[in-house]
Amino acid sequence: MELRHLRTGVILGSLVALAAVGCATSTMTTLGSGDPVADRQRLMKNNGANWADIQNKVKAGNVEGVAVNAEAIALHAQRITSLFPEGSLTAKSKAKPDIWHKWPEFQASAKNLENRAGTLRDQALAKDAAAVQTTVATFGRDACGTCHTPFRVPPQQPAQPRS
Amino acid sequence: MKLRHAKTRILLGSVVALAIASSATGQSTTKIWTSDVVADRQRLMKLNGASWADAQAKLKAGNAEGVAVNAETMALIATQILPLFPEGSLTDKSKAKPEIWQKWPEFESSVKNYAMQAEKLRDAARTKDLAATEVVAKEFGRQACGTCHTPFRVPPPQQQAPAPSQPPATR
Repeated sequence: MELRHLRTGVILGSLVALAAVGCATSTMTTLGSGDPVADRQRLMKNNGANWADIQNKVKAGNVEGVAVNAEAIALHAQRITSLFPEGSLTAKSKAKPDIWHKWPEFQASAKNLENRAGTLRDQALAKDAAAVQTTVATFGRDACGTCHTPFRVPPQQPAQPRS
Repeated sequence: MKLRHAKTRILLGSVVALAIASSATGQSTTKIWTSDVVADRQRLMKLNGASWADAQAKLKAGNAEGVAVNAETMALIATQILPLFPEGSLTDKSKAKPEIWQKWPEFESSVKNYAMQAEKLRDAARTKDLAATEVVAKEFGRQACGTCHTPFRVPPPQQQAPAPSQPPATR
């Protein structure tokens, strides 16, 4: 009888430890404010601002300068899916429920953004002006659009890049 | 006796549920990039450095507003720094000091400070006030980068200069 109680105690103890470790890990990974809609809108705004900066630099002939913005988009892209937990649809969100109906497609389109941004970064680092211009010319459709078209409610009027 | 066992079982059951729930939360959000945290954090900090260099180049060109995007990029990626320093992640390639884990609360607050300084720079830039932005930028290296790099990073062999905008004239 005593042995049995002891065993139960050991099991209980190790489970409590496991629970504690799990909680500790999750606090460590807290990435933002706790509001995923605000967090992802902030992240996507910065993606948009980096994209506007890319366009300005290309216009000014500063091809190499594009690399830092493209790398920012590539790194941000890796966080996108984690900012769309199931059921995180509020009145402020422009996300479509299709995100969660077609999760693998959503994941693939976030990965596509990461890859395209990585390509642009590498072309900029190589100072290959022609390649950068070609990628930039199709980026809106091939990188932003493949996710925004199926998975985002269109904005009232398209946001204009700030000059 | 039976009641006692039932109670133990309920307790066990709820602890198991808690354990599963918490490790699930931990795992789904812990997944970061590659399996090599040292490479990941060096990539992240390189982007921080490049964003800062871009901000400085813009200031030199008199473009205060353009600094905002770089400062916000830094503020956003600052939130990823801590999870990229799990205990024991010290390799030959890493420039991290063991003090990071010995003084974790200080490390945490210096990362938090970095995010706040980046937001301060962003907000100054958004006002388009060049002089005000320059004031924040002037202190940024010491106040934002330095408060973490001085205590927690092995100094590089020579101070990294921001990438020159023009190659040095060699003739």
